[in-house]
Amino acid sequence: MSILEIKDLQMSFGGNHVLQGLNMTVPEHSVFGFVGRNGAGKTTTMKIVLGLLRPRSGIVTVCGEQVIYGATKTNRHVGFLPDVPEFYGYMRPKEYLRLCGEITGLSSGQIRAKSEELLELVGLGDVNRKISGFSRGMKQRLGIAQALLNEPRLLICDEPTSALDPIGRKQVLDILSAIRGKTTVVFSTHILSDVERICDHIAVLERGKLVLSGTLGEIQKEHRRNSFSIRFATDQDALEFSQSEELKELNINLELDERILTIVIEDNSIGGQGLIDLLSQKQIVPEKFEAMEPTLESLFTEVVR
Amino acid sequence: MEILREYWPFLVPLIMAELALMVTALVHILRHPTYRFGTRAMWVPIVVLLQIIGPIVYFIFGRGEDA
Amino acid sequence: MNHYLVFLKKELVEHARTYKLLIMLVVFTIFGITNPLIAKLTPELLASFMPEGMSMTIPEPTALDSWAQFFKNTQQMGMIVLVLVFSGVLSSEISRGTLINLLTKGLSRQAVILAKYSAMLLVWSLSILLSAALTWVYTMYLFPKDHLGVGYLLFAISCMWLFGAFLLALLLSSATLVQGNYGSLLLTGLMVVLLMALNIIPSIKEYNPVSVASKTMELAAGKIDPSSVYTAVEITAVASLGLIALAVIVFRKKRL
Repeated sequence: MSILEIKDLQMSFGGNHVLQGLNMTVPEHSVFGFVGRNGAGKTTTMKIVLGLLRPRSGIVTVCGEQVIYGATKTNRHVGFLPDVPEFYGYMRPKEYLRLCGEITGLSSGQIRAKSEELLELVGLGDVNRKISGFSRGMKQRLGIAQALLNEPRLLICDEPTSALDPIGRKQVLDILSAIRGKTTVVFSTHILSDVERICDHIAVLERGKLVLSGTLGEIQKEHRRNSFSIRFATDQDALEFSQSEELKELNINLELDERILTIVIEDNSIGGQGLIDLLSQKQIVPEKFEAMEPTLESLFTEVVR
Repeated sequence: MEILREYWPFLVPLIMAELALMVTALVHILRHPTYRFGTRAMWVPIVVLLQIIGPIVYFIFGRGEDA
Repeated sequence: MNHYLVFLKKELVEHARTYKLLIMLVVFTIFGITNPLIAKLTPELLASFMPEGMSMTIPEPTALDSWAQFFKNTQQMGMIVLVLVFSGVLSSEISRGTLINLLTKGLSRQAVILAKYSAMLLVWSLSILLSAALTWVYTMYLFPKDHLGVGYLLFAISCMWLFGAFLLALLLSSATLVQGNYGSLLLTGLMVVLLMALNIIPSIKEYNPVSVASKTMELAAGKIDPSSVYTAVEITAVASLGLIALAVIVFRKKRL
């Protein structure tokens, strides 16, 4: 079942068309990476999902219920972590969670139990100072705790890691990874290594539309080109293989760098098996034979070009 | 001296209120390094020398965003 | 728990911990004590500045002079402090984005406005009560023989309270209309200046909320009858409620 569905979403600020028919589906129990350049419309999309912005047209449903601008009931299923969460500096973490819990309508006992569990999860279990003395990373982690307080089915994080140092980033990613399975996580980012680290689904937003979406495996498979890399043991092997008559007849691209040969096959004239046959025919044992997977970075730069 | 003897029921609470305000502001300034504007070297004399007004101006305009 | 009560509690904690309550109470304590003192000492001070040999009859100060100080101080410095202390109550939350978290959790926007207004009213009521009580006690101490009509006095103090309540409503609705921390302060100031300017026109005076505050001295002295400000009182009360209703409506539609 899909927990979040966005159909033909349009949004513009002034004459600037930020979203131009965005379609997106987030399956339940996924960790969904929402990738795009700065200003691509990620934050706008999230605010519409939360009912904080009114779209020009389009339908958004959360858990099958339609999102209505203003006071949307769907928010009871949703936890939200803004990019730079702002708290009341004069409160302590537990007091803030109590305030949130009271607004959501949890009982006092539930709030106490849930607060302790969540503060433990985000590593703030024994921090009892005022929030004004918190680092950005601590605020971000408290932000996750408050977002998870009402046990949401969907957690939306807006660039949770971009303002953080490497240690803070790792902590936040570890927490998001740890809640996988309990809650569906959608997080926007422009840091691709974060996506590779924890996401199973990704969607790339560019010029107001999705230009790439699916599971990481699917995307890589779809965009895998027929290319191989072979590392030879000696220069002589490399030369002999790359200049063989059999290869010259084929429609392929060869590139030899020291002892590493990169082969890009433009048609289906030969596959990996053919190359291996050729190697064995020439009695060459390579040090390494690799079918090359496209990296997320190369795909990203390809689709947003 | 005569004024002091005659009006101590006024002066004692007034001075206490002023001192309370000043000490609270001073403690706040010394415990917080950042202000909405100005520096510690600016706020300490303002709060100490300008009775009542100094601390009020500090709390309303000078105090950083958070408690 | 009800959103209004939850947020009211948060507001009161905020006023206490961000020193707003402290400032209000200390300032109005100081007013309360100094009002009778200034009334008592002014003739003596005037006399000491008189050149030698020159004589002038300065009337003996009375309890009424003490209350005149109360109404003058509250109406001027008191209102300025009140508005300054609470100037950021809504606008800073909007500009910093502290409300977004709570609103996405379903917090009602109407509850935000009503709770904020109630909390400010509570602090304001406490402050003016404290100041009036202190002025009362010290006036009795300095001018034990004078007696004032308690009914007139209480009515005048209530009028002053109402004007403060009106200013707070003006401030809160301004914060929903304009952006930034000082925008709402500026708008409120402009509105007050406008109302004061309008007071020059005699025919408007009767309906102007400013009269509610400016007539308090004469009311306390019994120089004018309370009925002469009834219209202004009604208009001020209705305007305050109207401004809060406006704040609720605007804030509901506001993009945060």
